[in-house]
Amino acid sequence: MKEIILWLFGLEEEALSDPTTVAGIIASFVVIAACLAVFITLIVKGRYKINRFGNKVWQRTKLITQGTWFILTNSFMVGWFKGTIYQGKLKYMCVPGMNCYSCPGAWGACPIGAMQAIFDEFDATKSWYDPETHTLVQPPLYWVAFYIIGFIMIVGALCGRFICGLLCPFGWVQDLLYKIPVKKLKLPRDERRINASKHPGAVRFFLGLDRALRYFKYAFLVIMVIFLPLIVSANPWFCKYVCPSGMLIGGIPLMSMNESLAAQAASLTLLKMSILVSLLVISVFLYRPFCRYICPLGALYSLFNPISLYKYGIDDSKCNRCKGCHACANACPMGIDPVKTPNNPECIRCGTCNATCPQKAIHSGFKFKTADGSAIRTRKNKNN
Amino acid sequence: MKTESKFLRYGIPVIVLLIGAGFMIYGATDGEAFAVLKKAVAICMECIGLG
Repeated sequence: MKEIILWLFGLEEEALSDPTTVAGIIASFVVIAACLAVFITLIVKGRYKINRFGNKVWQRTKLITQGTWFILTNSFMVGWFKGTIYQGKLKYMCVPGMNCYSCPGAWGACPIGAMQAIFDEFDATKSWYDPETHTLVQPPLYWVAFYIIGFIMIVGALCGRFICGLLCPFGWVQDLLYKIPVKKLKLPRDERRINASKHPGAVRFFLGLDRALRYFKYAFLVIMVIFLPLIVSANPWFCKYVCPSGMLIGGIPLMSMNESLAAQAASLTLLKMSILVSLLVISVFLYRPFCRYICPLGALYSLFNPISLYKYGIDDSKCNRCKGCHACANACPMGIDPVKTPNNPECIRCGTCNATCPQKAIHSGFKFKTADGSAIRTRKNKNN
Repeated sequence: MKTESKFLRYGIPVIVLLIGAGFMIYGATDGEAFAVLKKAVAICMECIGLG
């Protein structure tokens, strides 16, 4: 038993003589048990049947799920107590969300950080000295990160961007900030409301701008996660210069608990802190700016939305769109029209449309048909 | 009403899932998993803004 615990926690036997470590191990088990109890309670109460209790209950369930998942995947309490990180074998595996492996409580690795780590490996046998530039040229050992691409394909094929909606720690933080009751930057989507607005031209301009900026996350993926680490220099470029999640759940806790780390803070810390603070402030007014415009992991998962096993679908026989109902499109925090494209790559599968629909015409899950046997449309509908 | 065929609904994701599993096994045996572990068990100075 002791060997299993030591292996699981990545600790040596001497570590058990430290009372803080022992307290951390016990606390980890307590926290994991509590998180599992929360999930079981939510399942037993039927809270994951999204449209059963209405949007208010669903939003609360969603926030509890996100928070509990964050606590569960970051429940290595020894790290939180001692200002260190987990060093055991579970870190061979990735967690599905944007969860920095330098978070003191993280059990697993971040897929984006892990992908860059693989690209940063170089082939020492093929290294050569370039006399013209006086540099040592070190070709990458891996040109394709099969291990991480495989992991993302598995998660993506199962549930697409469901991860963004319910299982991403930084998404949770942005969701919490968006709960602050101030005037929100939310643009109307349907033509009737755009024309009824004070400045329809300006609304259309910002809608176009929003649509264009959403492609930036694919640029971040290709340039900062793949191209720069592979071709320019062996550095985790995205983690180093952009990732606000690493700063929030890794940098801030570690620096606050570890004076030697805090003493090393420099201009890069300031840059990353500025990015983090800016995104957090914008999150109060705009729903999930990081997920919309920056997140490379969301960009990868978005490719799987149209083909994943877990899908959204519309029961057209119940849908009231023809009677002018746009409840789902108006409620969607990501600005998508679920009736038009139920499995849009931008959809983070937060369930808001599903919980809002007055006709209960939106379905989500793995089933091909509704309980009464009618067909569900999961593809684009150009008529609406 | 447009509905997907069973192949599109279930066949494609299952094929993607199997290819993904194959990629993961290949990557793990090729040493990529060890590269991930090596990076993840040490505090990533770049990630926490200390570069």
